[in-house]
Amino acid sequence: MSLRIYGYAGSINVRKVLWCCAELGLPFEREDWAGPFRSTSEPAFLALNPVGLVPVIDDGGAVIWESNAIIRYLATSRGREDLLPAAPLPRAQVEMWMDWQASDFNNSWRVAFQGLIRNNPDHRDPNAILRSLDTCSRMVAVIDAQLDKAGGYICGGSFTLADIAIGLSIHRWRSFPDRPALANVDRYYERLCERAGFRTYGLNGGP
Amino acid sequence: MLKIWGRLSSINVQKVVWAAGEVGQAFERIDVGGPFGGLDTPEFRAMNPNGQIPVLEEGDFRLWESNSIVRYLAARHGTASIWEADVARRAEAERWMDWMLSELQPALAPVLWGVVRKVPGYTEPKVIAEGMKRAETLMAILEAQLADRPFLAGERFGVADIAVGCGAHRWFNMPVERAERPAVRRWYEALFARPAAEAALPLPIA
Repeated sequence: MSLRIYGYAGSINVRKVLWCCAELGLPFEREDWAGPFRSTSEPAFLALNPVGLVPVIDDGGAVIWESNAIIRYLATSRGREDLLPAAPLPRAQVEMWMDWQASDFNNSWRVAFQGLIRNNPDHRDPNAILRSLDTCSRMVAVIDAQLDKAGGYICGGSFTLADIAIGLSIHRWRSFPDRPALANVDRYYERLCERAGFRTYGLNGGP
Repeated sequence: MLKIWGRLSSINVQKVVWAAGEVGQAFERIDVGGPFGGLDTPEFRAMNPNGQIPVLEEGDFRLWESNSIVRYLAARHGTASIWEADVARRAEAERWMDWMLSELQPALAPVLWGVVRKVPGYTEPKVIAEGMKRAETLMAILEAQLADRPFLAGERFGVADIAVGCGAHRWFNMPVERAERPAVRRWYEALFARPAAEAALPLPIA
């Protein structure tokens, strides 16, 4: 049975799963839900995911939601220890950057993104937008220092799931005006652009 | 011996202290963060560049982010207790941890700041009411999930119960008017009866 993905492709969390599938060479079918498409509060969707958020996958009967849990599941179930190591310590070192992306880093750009890119009328306060831009840029500076230390990617010299989570956020950050110059992040972005999955779902996948 | 950096009033430190107890690991806990400070020193930033608690020190390496630490402790020390070896079953638990991180914690935090910690900007009734509304929506989801299973991911206690259980501890011990949630209440009381949980979840909450 093939892999089915529920969620519209404009969602940054859906794009984590799509990029991960590209890295794994996994074929899939996708249904548009959320955003401008069908509402995730429809019973058919809530039957799949009671918390009503995209993405959701159905992998031959295994129904998983939450983007980071999904991509960890996909990499592990396909034996891709290069993307997520099996040993507890190196695995945790990948996962902690994913958790940080899903909580602090994600929250930092939310107001600026809604106000400046999505033109959301609820997020027009210029001071709140400036604070959001500043917090986000300080977090990107932490990533810049980590890339310098780690050597090329978030967790070392090779690409992992942490780069899928962080990479899409960096792509979003690059849609903001007046960003500080961060040379390691710029080189990292160029490196990500060498990957077909990132070109499709990051670079050319919308902000 | 493990070292856990962070004050015990932090919900994220509570998760790690609880998990260490469940996997039978002795630890030393060092109070930093909140009123204790100490997160902006170069030494602490070298452990966690984001300057946040908890940090787990084991031998010569350090981990941060509470959910990742909980999963690490389960994988490294809990194969006979809380670790789930099957990858699909593990994902069933992990999705609830991620939901805790991205949905439930951000909903509970402003209520705690408003009614317990009295943080300026969060104490106005309107702000508290908005936070409560969001939190109740999420508690209704938990109620439905726990209605027909003893633990979040099914029949076995595990890492998801630790992460989300720390949120339930806050929820049931904040001085607020709550909707009745019998399944969540039963689950929380079963969790709190575990010795490792009681040691990790001080009362009153602060």
